[in-house]
Amino acid sequence: MRNLHLVRRNDVKLWQRILFYAVGIFISLLIGAAMLSSLDIDPVKYYKQMVTIGLIGNKYPEKAIEGLLKIFVPLLIVSLALSLSYRMKFWNVGGEGEFITGAIVAAIIAFKCSSLPGPVVILLMSLAAFMASGLIGLAVAVLKVKFNTNETLVTLMLNYIALYVITYIAETKKKWNFFLDDESARPKFAKFPDAAKMQGIKFGNVTILYSVLIAIALMIIIYFYLRSTKQGYEISVVGDSNDTAKYAGMKVGRIIARTVFLSAALIGMAGAFSASTAATISTSITNNVGWTGVIVAWLAKLSTPGIFAVTVMISVLQYGCQAASVSYGSVDHNFADLMQGLILFSILVADFLLNFRIARRKEADNV
Amino acid sequence: MSDLELITLFVFNIVVYSVPLLYATCGEILTEKAGSLNLGVEGTMAVGAIVGYVAGCRSNSFLVALLVSFLAAALVGGIFAFFTVTLQANQNVTGLTITTLGVALYFFIGKGLSGMGKWPVLSSSGKMVKGFKDLKIPGLSSIKFVGKAFFTHNILVYASVVVAILLWVYIEKTIWGLKLRAIGENPSAADSLGVNVNLYKYVHIMLGSGIMGIGGLYMGLNMSGSFEGSNCWINGYGWIAIALVIFANWSTLRAIGGTFVFGFFNTLIYYNGPLANQFPNALGWLRKIPSQFYSALPFIITLLVLIMSSVRKNSLSGEPAAKGINYYREDR
Repeated sequence: MRNLHLVRRNDVKLWQRILFYAVGIFISLLIGAAMLSSLDIDPVKYYKQMVTIGLIGNKYPEKAIEGLLKIFVPLLIVSLALSLSYRMKFWNVGGEGEFITGAIVAAIIAFKCSSLPGPVVILLMSLAAFMASGLIGLAVAVLKVKFNTNETLVTLMLNYIALYVITYIAETKKKWNFFLDDESARPKFAKFPDAAKMQGIKFGNVTILYSVLIAIALMIIIYFYLRSTKQGYEISVVGDSNDTAKYAGMKVGRIIARTVFLSAALIGMAGAFSASTAATISTSITNNVGWTGVIVAWLAKLSTPGIFAVTVMISVLQYGCQAASVSYGSVDHNFADLMQGLILFSILVADFLLNFRIARRKEADNV
Repeated sequence: MSDLELITLFVFNIVVYSVPLLYATCGEILTEKAGSLNLGVEGTMAVGAIVGYVAGCRSNSFLVALLVSFLAAALVGGIFAFFTVTLQANQNVTGLTITTLGVALYFFIGKGLSGMGKWPVLSSSGKMVKGFKDLKIPGLSSIKFVGKAFFTHNILVYASVVVAILLWVYIEKTIWGLKLRAIGENPSAADSLGVNVNLYKYVHIMLGSGIMGIGGLYMGLNMSGSFEGSNCWINGYGWIAIALVIFANWSTLRAIGGTFVFGFFNTLIYYNGPLANQFPNALGWLRKIPSQFYSALPFIITLLVLIMSSVRKNSLSGEPAAKGINYYREDR
């Protein structure tokens, strides 16, 4: 064992990569199938229902498309946003908290400014959520830059603080609490006024919400922002090495602060979109998107087109499991999380096999 | 209920609510001392809890439950170690995935067994009930107030304190502990002194995770083994443990006290009302504070500790310098 060691390799071809990943995903599906079989569920049938997201034999297939998009939009924006800060090796794991913050702030605008015309209200909601979450991100970034405070742990703590703030709002029936429905005796979040509800364009029976279009546009903008602008270039240099960036005369602290602001702000905006789409908020509004986003960004190797592809895959997985759980009582949406984890781990193994090879140590090295 | 009875019950419950945190915190301290930040505590506990519980009930043996939950959780730790130590994968991502996967596995097993009508009921396993029964420590338990509050608990409560003390001795006073700390501070220096870094990391990550699993089992037993479809037994305790590691400054001995402090807030969530009723003049204000504030307090305190210690530049003395950074020998 001792004279075997790992050597990094850089000669991986694209087809090798695709092959390895495909095998990895296939193995995950096999493990999932074995688990389903243990519950006496026919895995082929289950997977078929999952991949077709309940479209087949559904009286209202447009509902399935709309449901899928409701998962897709927040996941795409959050994953893109997280990838911005991960590119600089800044570990923002505060997606959950930033998303909740955005949703709460959006709800305040929705209830307080509903006399304004519809598009203006939604714009204000998004903008306010963008700023509020962005400022939280900025604060964390400043702490990191000035005092080297551990950003992973700080953002982790903020997730739970935000969660308990929204839980407090959700469970406190008081006069000042305009978030809650006046008519309900039990504490229950009120519906937003109509002006705050996300609108869309009808294509036949399917309504494509503006948030879908914005998310796609945002993805394209981020792609070019990272590829072709000075700021995008700065992000990649800081990601490679803080020192290189410093010697090149870049203001590293400023770049980190700016990018983390943007990262958190976009997540907040995604929270506002989700609130506006549902026309209400809830303590489970994130649907774990802050955690799933980390997995998506990582599976995609932080590449923007990659994030799009992985988000489509994970959205189908999640919505498909929800749809399939209608016919299978003993498997619920958590099966999607299980598959996500398995897929991530098999891709990590594939990456390892692609990036390293095991070599025998030469005799001369072994002295 | 008399004043003293209520306070005794309150303190008794602080201990009850603290113990799983102590196991999880000790496990995470051991892991972090080896230079690894494992964010998978929640998932590791969930797996240890459900696998150990089911195995224990099936075999009608408390010992089997303990052993299986330790081993199952240690295996989860082994996965974390395999990915972060051998495959050099990112620790944050691996840890978060362990949590996602572990909690999902918890629901898969629970839902699956319940769906097939095979979920084991705690009361049907006499040995399990007996193993988790409160034990009075002779002599000590008859001391007024203190006896009832601290010395009439189940065996896992006493064991948790023993584990914390033993780990402290191990980490601070033995040669293995010294090597472990060296790895957490500077793995390449430890390596050059002939310490087998990867072996140490594997052993301590797995041992730490196994201990977390016992904490998980405790939570399941404390809930009388009732599986609910929507809430996991662990219910966020894994994350509080990660916070507690910082609060305890990476010392398992200080973790005993720290756990009690965090357990105090966790217990106030349920006791703020009764305490305010019993002592309307002294503690009436407790009612005015929302219970969610107590839930959030561990995280708020930890956040402040993190910020203050970094602002004052005296980084927490117990914090391993190489925590969170993978060690790749060829980069030395």
